[in-house]
Amino acid sequence: MNIVVEGSEEYGTEVYAELFERILIDLGLTNRVEGAKLLIYPEKHLFIVSVRMRQARLTVMVPEVADLSEKDGGTFMAIRNESYAPALLALLWKLFGRERIEQLSRLEILAHGIPPSRLEDLALNPGEELRKDVLDAIWRLLPEGFKVRHNLFAEGVMTIISTEHEMQEEFMAMGRQLHQDMVNGLDLEAGARNGGDGEEEEDV
Amino acid sequence: MYEVLMFDGGVYRITELYELVEDIGGFVIQKTQIQVMITVTIAIPAEDRPVIEAKTRELGGKLVEVPLAGTEIAVVGPTLGRHHMPHPICDIAEHLRRYGAITVVMGLARGKGRQTAQISADEKAFIEEFDAAVFVLGNFADCILKDKVRLFEKIEIPVAVVCGPEIASVPNCEALVCGIGRKVERMRRAEEIAKLEEAARAVQSVVERRRGEIDEDPLFVHPAEVKQRIEGLELVQESLRPAPIVLHLDGLRVKVPYEQVREQLCGVDVYGRRLCDIATISPSRLGGSTMIHILTKAQVASRDSKAGI
Repeated sequence: MNIVVEGSEEYGTEVYAELFERILIDLGLTNRVEGAKLLIYPEKHLFIVSVRMRQARLTVMVPEVADLSEKDGGTFMAIRNESYAPALLALLWKLFGRERIEQLSRLEILAHGIPPSRLEDLALNPGEELRKDVLDAIWRLLPEGFKVRHNLFAEGVMTIISTEHEMQEEFMAMGRQLHQDMVNGLDLEAGARNGGDGEEEEDV
Repeated sequence: MYEVLMFDGGVYRITELYELVEDIGGFVIQKTQIQVMITVTIAIPAEDRPVIEAKTRELGGKLVEVPLAGTEIAVVGPTLGRHHMPHPICDIAEHLRRYGAITVVMGLARGKGRQTAQISADEKAFIEEFDAAVFVLGNFADCILKDKVRLFEKIEIPVAVVCGPEIASVPNCEALVCGIGRKVERMRRAEEIAKLEEAARAVQSVVERRRGEIDEDPLFVHPAEVKQRIEGLELVQESLRPAPIVLHLDGLRVKVPYEQVREQLCGVDVYGRRLCDIATISPSRLGGSTMIHILTKAQVASRDSKAGI
């Protein structure tokens, strides 16, 4: 993971690179974030963070990660890919409640009163969870008073432009440029990597 | 001239130390007992220090210098949000406590941001109840010099500023410590602990300057003497708050509501005078507390001459 910071104050840029790294370590995201670039101009009241995530796993259906079989009117699941176990368990708890979902062992789950047909169509989306975690890390990093924010999302890249007062066209242009550079694989260290495409914008 | 020291040792024969302190005209400021161990903060006449050192050796304890004992310091952050709390504000507050100060950590209600950062008159008045204030700021010189300096202008007590970037000087403050900015973890490394030491020494210098100013126009009575007289009051003894009496450089904070304790405090005898004749007693902005500001000898003499005494 490589964090690049550009800004008008040397001390502040150095410290913020370290701060972001510490926040990512705290949240356990260091191996899920490929790199980040920060633009910090306190005199303009401008703070831009762009994060390139490692390729999030694609959406998978429950039968792709676990073997389903009927047992006593419910479903017995034997998980084949352990890395999906937490996400699967969390999804089942959310949909059916903890009293109906019993974790028998590390890789075995019993769903009481739920037939396999109801579980076959369920999908797991680990990418959404990663996006939420990274967004949390960015919000922890951004200065508390910079409440006016604009978010740019693309597959694998997230950019947040923040300022204290009104958002200016200049800031948006800088943010869009950085976002595009990150999507196009801006070289944060030796060897550029390819990001995704398909941009969507969201105002906060 | 009183010297403030802390005895750190066991409870065995500790009453001998109390008696000796009393015999030489000193005071016990604070006692903290944990099972059979005890720390006792004492104020003694400086010339009698060898006697106390000898007694400490006899009791198997040790004497620690606590240059900030007898002071209450506010450590102020721009907000209570996680961007500013708990690190490094709590680390600084903890370090000041090691120097003997009582510290209070506070965040401003609207201190976030740059141009939007502000401090209310109430918050200023609250901070001014302390002996000194430490403002802990962030990592950008531009933000500190252009906007954050407004937070501590026109504060009537000495202010020390702690911030990240190396800045030559900051207006409106008596001391400046650079190199401690925003952090998301405890200050554990050797260079960070050295910075905490630097911050504590800066606060110490600010407090010593204030002490020097007070010595030029000395108080009618040392706050520790007043403490000794009021700690026997029933309302004070019933107070369950930690350290119900806190010493200040020029007075005391008594953690009992003003309305309840005013009459009793007023009637306390200090060298043949009532306490309210030699001090101003007022409600504190810290809920349920009372402030006592001791008048200087000159102020008491002036009052006496006006009253024709």
